[in-house]
Amino acid sequence: MSSDETRSLLIVDDEARILSALRRTLRREGYEILTAETAEEALRILDERSVDAILSDNKMPVMNGSEFLREAARRCPNAVRMIITGWTEEIPPSQLESLGVCALVSKPWDDDKLKATLRRALGL
Amino acid sequence: MGFASSKVCILVVEAASGKRGIAAALSRLGDDARLEFHTDTETSIARARSGEVDVVVVDLGLGGDAERLMDSLRRDGPPAIVVDDRLSNDRALEWFRRGAADCVALEGGDAELLAVVVLEQIRRWRAIHERGAAENRIRELEHYSESVVQNMNSAVLVVDQDGTVTTSNAPAVEILGRSTKALLGQSVIDWFKDASGKGMLASTLADGRTFKGAESQITRPNGAVLPIGISIAPIADGNGVTHGAVATFQDLTGIQQLQRQLLQSEKMASIGQLAAGVAHEINNPMGFIHANLFQMAEYLSDLRRVWTQVELLQKAVSRAEMAEIQRTSERLAGIVDETDVDFLLTDLAKAIRESQEGSERIRHIVHDLRDFSYPDSGRQVVADVNQCLESTANIVWPMMKHLVVLEKEYSDLPAVTCFPMQLKQVFMNLLVNAYQAIEERLGDAAHRSGETGRIQLRTEPTGNHVRITITDDGVGIDAENLDRIFDPFFTTKKVGSGTGLGLSTTYSIVQRHGGTIQVESTPDDGTTFRILLPVDGADVVG
Repeated sequence: MSSDETRSLLIVDDEARILSALRRTLRREGYEILTAETAEEALRILDERSVDAILSDNKMPVMNGSEFLREAARRCPNAVRMIITGWTEEIPPSQLESLGVCALVSKPWDDDKLKATLRRALGL
Repeated sequence: MGFASSKVCILVVEAASGKRGIAAALSRLGDDARLEFHTDTETSIARARSGEVDVVVVDLGLGGDAERLMDSLRRDGPPAIVVDDRLSNDRALEWFRRGAADCVALEGGDAELLAVVVLEQIRRWRAIHERGAAENRIRELEHYSESVVQNMNSAVLVVDQDGTVTTSNAPAVEILGRSTKALLGQSVIDWFKDASGKGMLASTLADGRTFKGAESQITRPNGAVLPIGISIAPIADGNGVTHGAVATFQDLTGIQQLQRQLLQSEKMASIGQLAAGVAHEINNPMGFIHANLFQMAEYLSDLRRVWTQVELLQKAVSRAEMAEIQRTSERLAGIVDETDVDFLLTDLAKAIRESQEGSERIRHIVHDLRDFSYPDSGRQVVADVNQCLESTANIVWPMMKHLVVLEKEYSDLPAVTCFPMQLKQVFMNLLVNAYQAIEERLGDAAHRSGETGRIQLRTEPTGNHVRITITDDGVGIDAENLDRIFDPFFTTKKVGSGTGLGLSTTYSIVQRHGGTIQVESTPDDGTTFRILLPVDGADVVG
């Protein structure tokens, strides 16, 4: 992948305000940003198209972040996967590994670190 | 001291063995009398003082030895009867003066009298002896009970039928803050701070009722009020008539402090269990507020760039420098376009609104938590049980919302006299348990497939009580564990996820409120807890 291509990022969080805040934060980063408030909605998006990166909340109703990422990996195996959560302790490191998660972001996040993490994950 | 046996012992001190027929005279007493014959004075004195002898018969034929013997028995010996062949009145009088209990002449047909006289003297001697023993026993008992009362750790007061203090001990003096002198003869009734204490004592004195481990308060002369635990029992005679009451009591200040500490630490432990849920609930809004603030700062610097051009434009307009106006206008249009001012203004307003909502959410959570973690004042107050239940449900909601549907059915309730913080802890324990039971039934996150559980909260008034029902459709409790769930330290949870104190604390809090708690459970189907609380608070009496 060359660096001038626009990278697509799918953000999943049941909190709409988190989605709009992340949009604001990443506004100038040049990503194509897609958002979903539930894992089901996100999976429907992935049925339609592929993305370069997925950033998902963990604690969500019905299907949580880990379950979603497992499903997402099947539909879009090349996307890098990241988790963003308000309580990082709830996810054991072994689980992160088995899900192929490359980064764990905690809420509240540091804007610059988040941007750097995304760039690194996307190999930019 | 008493008699060695019920058989009487008669010591006969003779001048020469068997000479006067004393033995014959006493033989009429039969087997009940043991006769001991001596001729030696020293031995006789020793035997007479042994405590085993009931009466001494002294043969005046002993001469000077008889006098010595009589003198030595005079003070503390058993009664002595002197016998001689003949006894003139003068001589008898002389022996009476020497301490003889009686005098009997053996000649002239009076020998038969000897047995009668001996028996009479024994009867008198024993009567005196027994009275002395009984008096000694009473003195011993008084001493014993006095030392028991004085050395007890509990304070003791004995009052008569009017409630006037007749006995007190050192702990009573200490707790009541009054000297022994100031206690005795005073009426105890007015020292009780609350009506319940007065009522208990009055009911003991009037109806003979007994109270055990009741709580009350007393007022010290300096105005200080002390919580006490008190037991009161009537003092009744053999006919069941009450003559007063005995009260034992302890200062509960320390115990109540410990109780409060224990409650508080249990409560803090349950807050610990909620940490993950609360962290989520706070970190989500914190997350977007934090990010929004940084973005708003960027928006502001973009808008400042626009404003700088606006100021330059104003200056150019005021000087009517057309070329400058033209240049600045173009720059302004370029920056407005570049920074997307329309979007900035719209999104800034949106970011502010969203952040305000987020901070309001955090304020609520912190308020509920603070509300929950405050210790009770130690005094019952009037509170709204619906509100207690609702604010507790608000705290646990973030933890369970992804797994649970919460159904609430609150009825209008009368205000309940209670310890609101303790009730909130009860609701917290039951809600956390209900949630964990559902979590256990639904199993591992990976196998849940979107299924959720249900918790129902119901409140309703029933006569002088309010009923709170909490039902879950969780994993349920096995029948063999159902009897033990309120035991301290009983837990079926994994090590580290339960203290085993939740339900036992719950039970004791409900009991402290004079209420009851019942549980019904079907394995794999769910559990229902029903709490019944008296509207007027704990009945301290009884």
